[in-house]
Amino acid sequence: MYRRLLVSVCQTRHRALHSYTRESCLRSSECDRTLLIGRHANQRVFNAFGTSSVAYCEKKDETLPLKDTGVVQDGVQKEAVQMVGEKLVELQDAVETAAGRSEQRVNLEMVVGQKSETVEEIIVKTNELNQHQDVNMEVVNNIVEDKVAKQTPQQRYTTQQGTDVIPEEQIQPVKSGKEGLLQLLGAMKVDVTNKRKQKSLKVQRSSEGPARPQTEAMESTFSMFQEASGMADVSAPTARHALSAKLVAAASAAASVLPNKAKAESELLKKLRQHEAVGEAQKNGDNIGVIISDMKVGRRPNVRHKARPANPIQFDDDGRGYTHDRGITAELDGGLRRRSLFTGKRLSIFTPRFEAEADKDLARPTLWDVDFANNVAQSATQLPRNGFEEMIQWTKEGKLWQYPVDNEAGLEEESQVPFYEHVFLEKHLEEGFPRQGPIRHFMELVVSGLAKNPYYTVQQKRDHINWFRDYFKQKEEVLKESEVRLGQAPRNLINHPGMGWSRVSCEVNVQLFQMLPWSQFRAGKSGIVHVSFITGRVALCQSA
Amino acid sequence: MAARSKHVGHYIHQNSRLIFSHFEHLLVRRNLGGIAAVCQRNAPVQRESADAIVVPRKKTWSKEAVLQALAATVKRDPTAPHYMFQDDPYLTPRTSGEFKLYSLSQQSGIMAAKHVINTNPKFFQKDFAEPHIPCLMPETIELRIEDVSEAALLERITLRKVKAAVDMYDQLLQAGTTVSTDATNDLLDLICLYGDHDPVQDDKPETEDVDDARRRKGRPRRAADLVKVVWRENNNAERIFNLLPERNSRAFSALIRGMVKYGAHMKAFNTYTDMLNNRLTADVHTFNALISATTEVREKYNDKWDLVVDLLKQMNEQKVKPNLLTFNAVLKALRRCGPLAKGQSLHTLSEMKALGIAPSLASFHHLLGIFYKSVSSSQGQTEILQEVLTEVAGKTFVPQDPDDVYFFSTAIRICLETKDLESAYRVHNLLNVGENWRLLGDSFQQSIYYGRIFNLLCMMEHIDVVLKWYKELIPSLYYPNTQGMKDLLQALDTDNRLDMIPQIWKDIRRMGHDNKADLVEEMLSLMARDRHSPEVQESFAVCALDVRSLYEHGQGAKMALEWSITAMTNITTILLAAQKNKQAWDMLKLFKTKNRVPSEALIEEFLVRIKDSQQAVELVQISASFCLENTSNLVKRVLQTFELSEEQRSILSELEVTTHINE
Repeated sequence: MYRRLLVSVCQTRHRALHSYTRESCLRSSECDRTLLIGRHANQRVFNAFGTSSVAYCEKKDETLPLKDTGVVQDGVQKEAVQMVGEKLVELQDAVETAAGRSEQRVNLEMVVGQKSETVEEIIVKTNELNQHQDVNMEVVNNIVEDKVAKQTPQQRYTTQQGTDVIPEEQIQPVKSGKEGLLQLLGAMKVDVTNKRKQKSLKVQRSSEGPARPQTEAMESTFSMFQEASGMADVSAPTARHALSAKLVAAASAAASVLPNKAKAESELLKKLRQHEAVGEAQKNGDNIGVIISDMKVGRRPNVRHKARPANPIQFDDDGRGYTHDRGITAELDGGLRRRSLFTGKRLSIFTPRFEAEADKDLARPTLWDVDFANNVAQSATQLPRNGFEEMIQWTKEGKLWQYPVDNEAGLEEESQVPFYEHVFLEKHLEEGFPRQGPIRHFMELVVSGLAKNPYYTVQQKRDHINWFRDYFKQKEEVLKESEVRLGQAPRNLINHPGMGWSRVSCEVNVQLFQMLPWSQFRAGKSGIVHVSFITGRVALCQSA
Repeated sequence: MAARSKHVGHYIHQNSRLIFSHFEHLLVRRNLGGIAAVCQRNAPVQRESADAIVVPRKKTWSKEAVLQALAATVKRDPTAPHYMFQDDPYLTPRTSGEFKLYSLSQQSGIMAAKHVINTNPKFFQKDFAEPHIPCLMPETIELRIEDVSEAALLERITLRKVKAAVDMYDQLLQAGTTVSTDATNDLLDLICLYGDHDPVQDDKPETEDVDDARRRKGRPRRAADLVKVVWRENNNAERIFNLLPERNSRAFSALIRGMVKYGAHMKAFNTYTDMLNNRLTADVHTFNALISATTEVREKYNDKWDLVVDLLKQMNEQKVKPNLLTFNAVLKALRRCGPLAKGQSLHTLSEMKALGIAPSLASFHHLLGIFYKSVSSSQGQTEILQEVLTEVAGKTFVPQDPDDVYFFSTAIRICLETKDLESAYRVHNLLNVGENWRLLGDSFQQSIYYGRIFNLLCMMEHIDVVLKWYKELIPSLYYPNTQGMKDLLQALDTDNRLDMIPQIWKDIRRMGHDNKADLVEEMLSLMARDRHSPEVQESFAVCALDVRSLYEHGQGAKMALEWSITAMTNITTILLAAQKNKQAWDMLKLFKTKNRVPSEALIEEFLVRIKDSQQAVELVQISASFCLENTSNLVKRVLQTFELSEEQRSILSELEVTTHINE
């Protein structure tokens, strides 16, 4: 199984290398093919493959240019050894025996690097570690045996040799064993390339305080497992019986070496189950297809891509810390993936309340509200794209008379006034005017004219009536002196302003007219005059 | 409606008298509309009398409704410049620099006019407009009330004069007057909002500098503004607050919001504790401010998140109803909470859903920011983008949060990083729904957005489609930079459409990228690389001559390009390929004057093309003068292929001897 995996990884890597070199030269037309692959890749769903191997594929893309520089790697290894101390010398020897093959060498060195890191952190003695490693390899072999049943006993034997000269194919189980151990202990995929690129950072950090990375790593591991437990619980019943008793025993043996026995054991078992799940997924899926589909083929090497360290530990975008994006979290996401964004469980802090709330929102807006509204509006301000949009903008600013959307356009100050205020004006005659008589009659005509006038506001109509009220009040003496018989109403007196140019001819009581404001008229011989009104102003013309 | 019913009524009146005979005595005197009304009212009543009559609600139209309907009929003309520039064709911008310059100058003209009007209100008192248009009249920016009173204080607050308001408040206190609680709260609001500094007035010339800064830093200016002002220890706000006899929750709220806005995060939390000790409850805005400050006061991811959860719980206890901004603040805080952000952000979304708060674009922006932190971790998370796009597809968004405008550029960035063309199209479709285009942000955000989408198209799409988009976007919406044009050239190369290059070159010249050496050289190398049909070669040669003239004379104020060896070689090769031997020969001479050495391959190329023996000899001479290694080889070939005179032979043999000596 793992060998197959390795083969596919190698193939992938070759292809990645291929595409990479193509990228780096100017695009030739050959690039089309890789481009197509890339396109495919993006449409395919990423999953099902062991995260570690996928991570390898990913990493290969970017570490390739550095791959063949063996010297550099040796240097790096030295550095790693320095950091670990002399206890790991034997381990390094083991690595160097395998160093002949450059491909595997990269893998192995990565693993060793990782391992050394882990060991450094948890500070275990080397022999302990070796023991550990053996146990774990045994465990892994068991897995391999159980599930794949592909390896010959001889191969298994060579695997258990561990640090002996390893045949090319057999390096893979070692690797996976180490990797398993590594993931169990630290779950920190810090590899060689990482160290190379963040050398200065690392040194700085270790000089600051050697204890810190450890705590960090442990912390993140634990939190991760806590997270994982949610998922694991779901799959536990099916997974538990799938693990053979042999495996469990081996795991507990391995765990007994660790300080916190119970915890380590449970974690080991969890890990095993995970392995199994991954194995299942791989068995089902089309490995190479998935790998290829996961490859990202860029046509032009991006400067930013290069600048970023090609490893899982990265700075946050806000530069405040690390994001530990490692395989298990990705798997976790896979487990938690949901159909829609909103179907997950919620924070459950607030209780939805549906009561109408109109209590305090009616308060006058504070400066903060105004400022916020300004900010929002400004953020979404766009230049008008055509003349109509410009007119909309002007309308909003109040510079443009609004386009009529109904019959009440332009009635800003009248919009709140109901129509009956305009039409039923008799109530204004209640006080200040006589109950009956010619003045009353006259005023009724005035009011009916006003009622039909669409151009006056209500206030203007009131003012008009008030003017007559004042006028008649002033002329009260004149009226009394002239002994006008108020009871006698003139017939068909006047049609009042409002009808615009209405020309009315009427017989007028001359005396009454004399006391009216337009008293400069001269009555005709017949006493019949033509009176024409324009909105309250009177022009009289003599009838022929 | 009325007209239609009238017709119906008319019809009935004419044809259906028998049916309505029992109505007739009633109908005769009525007008036709009346008949229709009667018929219509009667008909449904007979059939569905049981149904209750549903009175339709009154439809209120906004005053822009008609204009909006009209504007919806206008499509964008991709060949025309932006509407803003249509008044003056002379000022149609052709480059992004010109676009910026012209649009800013228009704005600054408006601002200058406003400034003049506002500073000299006495000259602008005549009100021509009927009805009155307030925005055309000068605003009062000067203080009117001189004496010490609360009205004067309120006036200073409404005119946003922070210093003057504080002075007035102090004078009032010294005079022993008690200021009402509302006025004091307003004053505190004012001081805290502007961080105890007088706000920059809109019509002051400072905005010019702000625009400069924005261009330089490439960030929106609001961020720059906020950083400038910091919350000082014991500033006027704190002083006045401490002097208050009784502190109500509004005063506390103003203080906390001001502290958070101007970076005194720790202090804000202390003030909040004080507030709780005084048995007061905070309002939703205060909580929003505090939540946005959580990331500053805690170091560890877990602690940050715990604090956020704690605040939310307190909100619930204090019966404060969270709003959209609360959850946006939570999501924004989660962006800095490391690995636990992914799970919790989804829980937050579910909580929003449970509370019936629809997320705005800013929520999705933060969500995408959480899930696509960096390039490599974006692997395997494309589903979130898909889900977000499914969620927002076809919806119209209104601006609710200042961060709304970052959604589109973020989404398209993710599409670009994951090379996801499908999603990019979906994002772009969303942009065209309703008024969503308004949320694209300022011109800087827009150029980022279009730049990214164009980059992606060049990378992933077939060249025909790319060119379609090219015509659509450029130059009416987007002025591509050098990189964008390079992308386009590479896309042309990928799909073997190099014959388009002369056309593109025209655009490059128009957009002012013809002085970018790397772009021009890349174009030349593409043209020189392969052999094409004679017509294409001809057009290439025209293009190359154009480039040559550019190198020689420069262009107006712009610096002339520096000849590089590759550019010269490429131009010469193109000219040779187009059978323009004379011009190519001129180019070869140019090598000498510019102190550049032509490659041997180029000389070989010449030798193939040359028919005249005299020229061949000259070519060998040139080659010898550059001390090229294969001169002797050339001599041999010339001797073989050309019929030479004695004189020429002697020259050649001489050259051969000298080269041998040199070797």
